[in-house]
Amino acid sequence: MTELQAEQAAVVPQIESRSQRSRYVDVLIALAAFAVLAILPMLTGSKALLDFVIRCSAFGLFATSLNLLVGYTGMVSFGHGMFFGLGAYGFGLIMQRTGLPVPVAFVGTLVITTVIAAVIGAICVRLKEIYFAFVTLAFQMLIHSTILSWVSLTGGDQGLRGGIPRPAFFGIDLSNHVHLYIASCALLVIGLLLMRQIAQSPFGYTLRMIRDNANRASFIGIDVWRAKLTIFVLAALFASTGGIIMALFVSGAYPEFAYWTISGEGIFINMLGGVTTFLGPMVGTVLLLILNDTVTRLTDYYGIVLGIVILFFAIGLRKGLMDFVVEWYAQRRGSPGERG
Amino acid sequence: MTRTRKPGVSRRATLAMMGAGAVTFATPWVARAQAKTIKIGMPTILSGRVAQLGTSSRNAVMLEVEKVNAAGGLAGRQIEMVIRDSKGQPQEAARVARELVNTDGCELLIDAEASSGAFAVHEVARDLGVLCIHTNSETSALTADPKQHIPNAFRTARQGVHDSIVGGSYAAAISKGKGLKKWATCAPDYAYGRDTTGEFVTYLKRFAPDVEIISESWPKLFQPDYTEVVTKILQAKPQALYSCLWGGDLTSYIDQANIYALFNQMEVFAVNMADYTALTVVKNLPKGIHSGNRYIKTYPATAENAAWGDAYKAKYNEYPTNWSWENATAIMLLAEASKKANSADGKKIAEAMRGLKIKSPFGADGTVTMRAEDQTLVGYAIGWGTTIPQEPYVPQVQAGDWKTVFELEAEWKKSKGYA
Amino acid sequence: MSCLHAHRMFFVRRLVPVRCNGNHPLDLDALTGCLASSACLVTQTTSGFIIGMLLFLVAVGLTLIFGVLKVVNFSHGAFYMFGAYFAMTAYQYTGSFALAMLCGAAGTALLGLIFERVFMSRVYGADVLMQLLVCYAFVLIFDDVVRMIWGPEFKSMGMPAAFQVVPLFIAGGVVPPYYLLLIGVALVAAVVLGLGLARTKIGKVIRAAAHNPGMVSALGINTGLIYGGVFALGGMLAGLAGALAAPVRSLTPGMGFSVLIESFIVTVIGGMGSILGALIGAILIGMIRSFGSLGFPLFTEGLMYLFMVIVLVSRPTGLFGKEVA
Repeated sequence: MTELQAEQAAVVPQIESRSQRSRYVDVLIALAAFAVLAILPMLTGSKALLDFVIRCSAFGLFATSLNLLVGYTGMVSFGHGMFFGLGAYGFGLIMQRTGLPVPVAFVGTLVITTVIAAVIGAICVRLKEIYFAFVTLAFQMLIHSTILSWVSLTGGDQGLRGGIPRPAFFGIDLSNHVHLYIASCALLVIGLLLMRQIAQSPFGYTLRMIRDNANRASFIGIDVWRAKLTIFVLAALFASTGGIIMALFVSGAYPEFAYWTISGEGIFINMLGGVTTFLGPMVGTVLLLILNDTVTRLTDYYGIVLGIVILFFAIGLRKGLMDFVVEWYAQRRGSPGERG
Repeated sequence: MTRTRKPGVSRRATLAMMGAGAVTFATPWVARAQAKTIKIGMPTILSGRVAQLGTSSRNAVMLEVEKVNAAGGLAGRQIEMVIRDSKGQPQEAARVARELVNTDGCELLIDAEASSGAFAVHEVARDLGVLCIHTNSETSALTADPKQHIPNAFRTARQGVHDSIVGGSYAAAISKGKGLKKWATCAPDYAYGRDTTGEFVTYLKRFAPDVEIISESWPKLFQPDYTEVVTKILQAKPQALYSCLWGGDLTSYIDQANIYALFNQMEVFAVNMADYTALTVVKNLPKGIHSGNRYIKTYPATAENAAWGDAYKAKYNEYPTNWSWENATAIMLLAEASKKANSADGKKIAEAMRGLKIKSPFGADGTVTMRAEDQTLVGYAIGWGTTIPQEPYVPQVQAGDWKTVFELEAEWKKSKGYA
Repeated sequence: MSCLHAHRMFFVRRLVPVRCNGNHPLDLDALTGCLASSACLVTQTTSGFIIGMLLFLVAVGLTLIFGVLKVVNFSHGAFYMFGAYFAMTAYQYTGSFALAMLCGAAGTALLGLIFERVFMSRVYGADVLMQLLVCYAFVLIFDDVVRMIWGPEFKSMGMPAAFQVVPLFIAGGVVPPYYLLLIGVALVAAVVLGLGLARTKIGKVIRAAAHNPGMVSALGINTGLIYGGVFALGGMLAGLAGALAAPVRSLTPGMGFSVLIESFIVTVIGGMGSILGALIGAILIGMIRSFGSLGFPLFTEGLMYLFMVIVLVSRPTGLFGKEVA
């Protein structure tokens, strides 16, 4: 065999064993993170910290799922927030209108999201670049309009009122603040773990190939449309889960959850944290929420502050925080950049 | 275009950084110990399109709180207001409300949110059990619907259904007098617009059964261009027009309807016209628009009311709004209830507030009452009159009759299944 | 007699359609009734045209900026807002309508130039996410700046006395003279832009710079100046639209947003980069609004988004758009 083939053959088993090992490491880290988060309520009596983590879970899942589209597949979606809203409304409506237990409602919401995402995705993913962004935005605004107009179902601009019933299941009572907190952390950790597996799997590398050069990918036989649709639906599911957590947190669902500002926040978070690392969006979520909470505490002019921060990152740093950290660390180590 | 990726930082370092960051930022979340002052939290809207809601609410609250503190505070404890912006987003309103109670140690809440925010804060009040007074939400369902009822939530805002009963009977009288049989409506397409218009029409037709609604328009809230609405109404050729547009929307609508000479062709009943901001901002205000009172310092025509309006204007260099008097009433009620219960404890104040009647410059007969059964304000001054383009803007106001309001309100509740 | 039955009876006897009480999401009777009546048809078409032409002024700037600079200017609504505020302030101090319009246009042209040279030029070639973020950051900043300078309450400029006249009757439809001015200005802008880009030397240079900036600068032409100029032009058009709208609309920080969304829809439907597309798209949206408010009073906005989706899916570059290289 040729030298090239020999080289390739040598690399392949290394990649395989590395991926097995990294999967174990991922699971271990996930367990460790969950353990740390779970102990937190015992260490501090602060309800506000728990609230903060719950909101981080909702937005973190949303932003990381957006990164699967933007960072890993190169599909810039301006309308990802529609799934956040659909998750919140779906779950809220099922709990309010039917007497189903929480886990069933949860799965039901994900099923509804899958169907809607599949339909919308099938229409959208054909389009390239900026047109994909426009059409996802258009769909989001269409859904938002529908939520506002379909008053008998959604309550219109007032949202789902009266609270979301949270009957206990398997001894977990979501109206108990600590239980809700632990459930959110669990969903966050499991969600991140699953998304990590998707990102590091061969499918994840397919997505990266599509991002880098979709034509080349299709030349070697990859069904680009199918792959894009799959990741679109998967990302929608995680975004939807974020919406469910938010609905439980505020005990309701409001049209603002499906408004383009949520998509915009998702994009800011990705920019703040960086799209080249997996945990970038998570870092970005923490940053944005801290910024939001601190600034609204201090001044009415949140807009200017947020605008300046965005400019700083977009024009100044031109990359997210995690990207920066990663590069700085790599420079210290002195290792050359790796294409991936 | 290809993107290069650098090798990842070890995940341990990443997590360590996150952990360190979280701990560093955890310190602000430790609740501060309670002091001699009593903190009252107030989530409201201080930015965006409806920023005036928050600023005028805040102004009124601070005006009253100064008086209360000068008189000794709530059961001896000085009031400290913690007012925070929710940017008009309900999830932010819920978060801010929770933060005010959990982190900032607020023992009471004045909820100065608009309707959807109010529902979100209502759920927080339900969860946390803290005393909460809704001051700006006019959606009747907030207190009328028994499903929404919680013992620690009250409302000092006016109610859509009260306004509609008074407005409907006033309009019916005029309609009978002037033979206005064909009506058009124009309302923003959201809950307040739909509910208020529906109720107004119900009561209009009840008192003047000949009336017919021949055209309905539902522009979007904050829609800048009303051209198609104006032309649609003009073509329907109604004799009277009802609109519950408010604020900037009402101003835009008047400007755009003016150049079509709409006001020469029909009588216009605009619920929200008699509000100082709208009255002073509109440059070419047509004469003779019928309007309900939002806040007018000449109605009730009492010295107390005029004095209150003047004091507000002197302090803030702008006129009070509808939101202002509603928030002022909340503080007045708090002060009285706390005196009656001789305590600053939320539960005891709630007890004392139910059924409490206080003297008020905004009352129809000099008093307002916090009705016990649904914990909402009644007895405030409601009246309608026609506008003129200069002070006092609404020279004659016909007072609404509260007896009629109570009767019809009870009927309305039954029809909605609330009673 | 049921409500629907009464409806039909009335329709037979009168030209003006009658509605029943209650919220009807669909009112096709009103729509068809209007199409049958010539007075209604003329009036609604004129209002559609009026709505469309103002929208065109805003949208054409957006499409121009995209066509030449290849950047989606998400802060376009802010120029509209500044145009209105500059005009209002100028009118307050001078009482002259013409001066107010001039201030609105010139002020936003200057703003556009500065904005482009200092900030936008740094994100050319960056991916659309960065451009979106820079523009959106400025929307936030501009809204708050306006709030700080002019205050959060809504304001009104007022109609200048010259236009406080009785509306005209044209072909059975009602048209206020002020709107005729507005339509006139928009049409003049359309013609000047269209012919200017096609026939004049500067127009050719601009089109060349859009197509191949490297070549143009290699020929010794300062592309930076061209870019700045085009952005200033686009911003000025939006500012002029804001100034023209100021006498009939209330001014408030954040007023740019709804206009931005609609002009966005217009440019997407008409085709990014095409002036004719912006014109046709704007008129189309105006008509949808005008007739849609009769037939679909509660879903008019949704209708526009639906239309946008349909165009994007069937012809992503829009009705008149060219393929972006």
